Amino acid sequence: MNCEVCQLKELEVEHFEIREVLRCILHTIVFHRALGLIRPKDVDLELFEITYVQCGDVELEKKIDERIDHFISWVEKHPNKKSQICLSFYEVKSKQPSWFTNKTERLYWEQWYVNLNVTQHPKHHSSKSHHAKVVVDPGESATEDRSSRRAMVEASLREVLFQIIKFVNEKKDHVPPISDGVIYFPYEITIPSSSDSAFGMDMIKRMLHSGHPTMLS
Amino acid sequence: MEMDRESGKLEQIVSQFRSKILHVVLDSRVPSLHRHQQHDSLSLSRVRKTDKWFNLVLGDRPPALENLNFSLRNLLDPMVIDIILVRHASCSSSVDNLYSPSAAAAGPSTETVIERWVVQYDCPRGFASPSGADASVSYKKIYKKCILLLRSLYTQMRLLPAYRIFRQLSSLNQTYNFDIVYKVSSFSHPFSREEEDGMKEYSFSPVEALPGCLCVSVTYHATLSDFDLEPLVSLPPKIITDYVGSPTTDPMRSFPSSERGAHATSFPFRGLRPPTSAPFQRPHSWSSGFHRGIPPTKTQSLAGSPPVYRTSPKPYDITSPPTDLYGNRIQNHRVSTLQQATAYDEYKLSPPFSPSASPSTPTYLSGANPLLTRHCSETAPVTIPLPPTGRSNRYLSPNSSDPSRHSLPPLSPRSSKHDTSSQESPSGIRSYRKIEALRAGESPSGLSNLYSAPKVVRDSKDDSGRFSGLLSSSGSPRIGFSRSSSRLSFQDDMDDCEFSCPFDVDDVDVSDSSSQNTENKRASEFTAQSNLVGKKSQDAAVGILVHMLRTAPPLRQDSSCYSTRSLRAEYEGGVGIASGFFMPRKTADALEELNSYREMKDLLLSKSGTQVVRKEGMK
Repeated sequence: MNCEVCQLKELEVEHFEIREVLRCILHTIVFHRALGLIRPKDVDLELFEITYVQCGDVELEKKIDERIDHFISWVEKHPNKKSQICLSFYEVKSKQPSWFTNKTERLYWEQWYVNLNVTQHPKHHSSKSHHAKVVVDPGESATEDRSSRRAMVEASLREVLFQIIKFVNEKKDHVPPISDGVIYFPYEITIPSSSDSAFGMDMIKRMLHSGHPTMLS
Repeated sequence: MEMDRESGKLEQIVSQFRSKILHVVLDSRVPSLHRHQQHDSLSLSRVRKTDKWFNLVLGDRPPALENLNFSLRNLLDPMVIDIILVRHASCSSSVDNLYSPSAAAAGPSTETVIERWVVQYDCPRGFASPSGADASVSYKKIYKKCILLLRSLYTQMRLLPAYRIFRQLSSLNQTYNFDIVYKVSSFSHPFSREEEDGMKEYSFSPVEALPGCLCVSVTYHATLSDFDLEPLVSLPPKIITDYVGSPTTDPMRSFPSSERGAHATSFPFRGLRPPTSAPFQRPHSWSSGFHRGIPPTKTQSLAGSPPVYRTSPKPYDITSPPTDLYGNRIQNHRVSTLQQATAYDEYKLSPPFSPSASPSTPTYLSGANPLLTRHCSETAPVTIPLPPTGRSNRYLSPNSSDPSRHSLPPLSPRSSKHDTSSQESPSGIRSYRKIEALRAGESPSGLSNLYSAPKVVRDSKDDSGRFSGLLSSSGSPRIGFSRSSSRLSFQDDMDDCEFSCPFDVDDVDVSDSSSQNTENKRASEFTAQSNLVGKKSQDAAVGILVHMLRTAPPLRQDSSCYSTRSLRAEYEGGVGIASGFFMPRKTADALEELNSYREMKDLLLSKSGTQVVRKEGMK
């Protein structure tokens, strides 16, 4: 089974927007992969005029929030950096046990990469500029900048959601069959580690492959 | 046999798929069909069988869905769902709306299709079932892909522009100059070039359901900012929770205590309010069945039932002429526009596909209250101006035999929607409630007229929408709810209209009720005593009091609120009886006046040497 990969459009967000943006994107993806019996739950974003859908599972919500918290912690230690969160869906396959491998194996059949560029809010220049001859009201221009920026982020986020819908619609054959009693497919959310991001992700992947499935989120 | 069974499976999947899509679309676009769902409280274990289709629990299906009948022939025809934006134009007079409710409630309106969903099972060869052992696997794949499509459709419903205005319409705190209705048919009129401009199309990837495929597409307006969609100006409704009626209506009547009576009446708003979270209500006689929504009709269980394509003598066959469905649309439209005016729960309104009109409201409007020809912005103003000449008699006559006493100031059809957020009414409305109290207490027949009609009295003006509805509660003449939704200034109405009532002073606190009762007792005592005084002195005292009242300084904002009728009422009822209705400040003044009159009386009596008066005064 091939693994379908979807690279979502990069979003430029501020620190305080991370949680809402990630919740929206991750829950939207999981909702499309929670093919068991669910009662959808509409959630309105507070920062943007967007309503996304959760699958209504409390445990799932907690796990996603935990991963988002970890990511925010990482961002605080690595400010002004582009980062990537990977949401992967896999199947657990039993495997011939050997000395170095475990009995089970994960077969990833879909991976979603959420690309974020966390920026700090630019300070207003008029207060620091020595060459400005015109006195600019810092309040008004800052508000305008903020609102226009907010509108851009909202439009970008909407584009990402449409991108998810398009991907879900176009690629259906690789989705495994639905098991009775299972609400959503096993998944994992990978965030950058404290060390080098690429190296950290590889390490986590190796740990995930060798570890017990229940250890993983 | 097996092939028939397999064929039935595919038809069932296609049929349920169409029903599910219709359910999702209507649930996310038409506020009037939005059911009272309690998603958080209902567990998945209590999900109906039909709700489990495609593993998407949406709750009870709208009544419209229950009436739809999909036949085999219909499954091959497209299902076209038009989401129509109805924009109401401003109307010069709402009186016409009152007496011609069949017309658009708010004057001419324009309708625009803002979304068109087309669901079609494209199968040129008909429902030929797949053969072999792979049929079961095939159905599972088809079913899985249908689930995926429905998931993405559900998400997209919330991202399209129409969802925003749906949420606005679903808002409890605001009314708008537009509404959303829908139309379902098996064919669609192509869009004109003008309509196509500004519209985008999105097609979901077809789901292979051999021998055909399921196709879903949507054509939608990319932006709705070009439409003049705006909220209606309205003042926040206020309900006086501690209203105390006039003692003159029934001095012996005990009004509900504050803790019991301090409830706001609210009306179901577009059916969005869950029954369990129904707002606290005033006890009125007509509300006993009013706030109960129609129990959700049992969903027809189609799971495992014979294929739904079987024709049945249902009146709302989808293959019936489009006029039925269009008529339904109009019905829904009318229902929607009147919903803001009616105080009914949406389920009491005729369902979208019901041919019956919603006669109750118009009937009530025309029959129950002959004096609903309300004029000057029946809006209950903060101040109660004097009525215009010729119309004032209806509302000013204290004579109980006057049929006008039984009338209520008509309400705005748009304004009488119950609202949970309506907790208070403008202070001016209190005066109307007092009128109601007075009339209800003095004219039982009028009271019965009021209580027998389980609906909200409406204002005659709709889009002026300036008047707040007045309702009377059972057991007490308090007005249950008043709400004004208006496009015009509330204050403008107050300035334009002069209306007075017997009790134009309405800011009487409950806490003053005891003092008022004391005042009434003293006033009545004084009256009893003064009756035996010479007529000349009594008249003189009354005249002096009348003069005082006329020249009294304004009360708070009620600078112009000074009714001659109120003075007349006082005259008829005896001196000092109405004094209790003034502000506490005025009550004190009146008390002083009464004391002075008592002294005058005593002086006169002492001079006349009448002993009988003293004995009667001591009673």
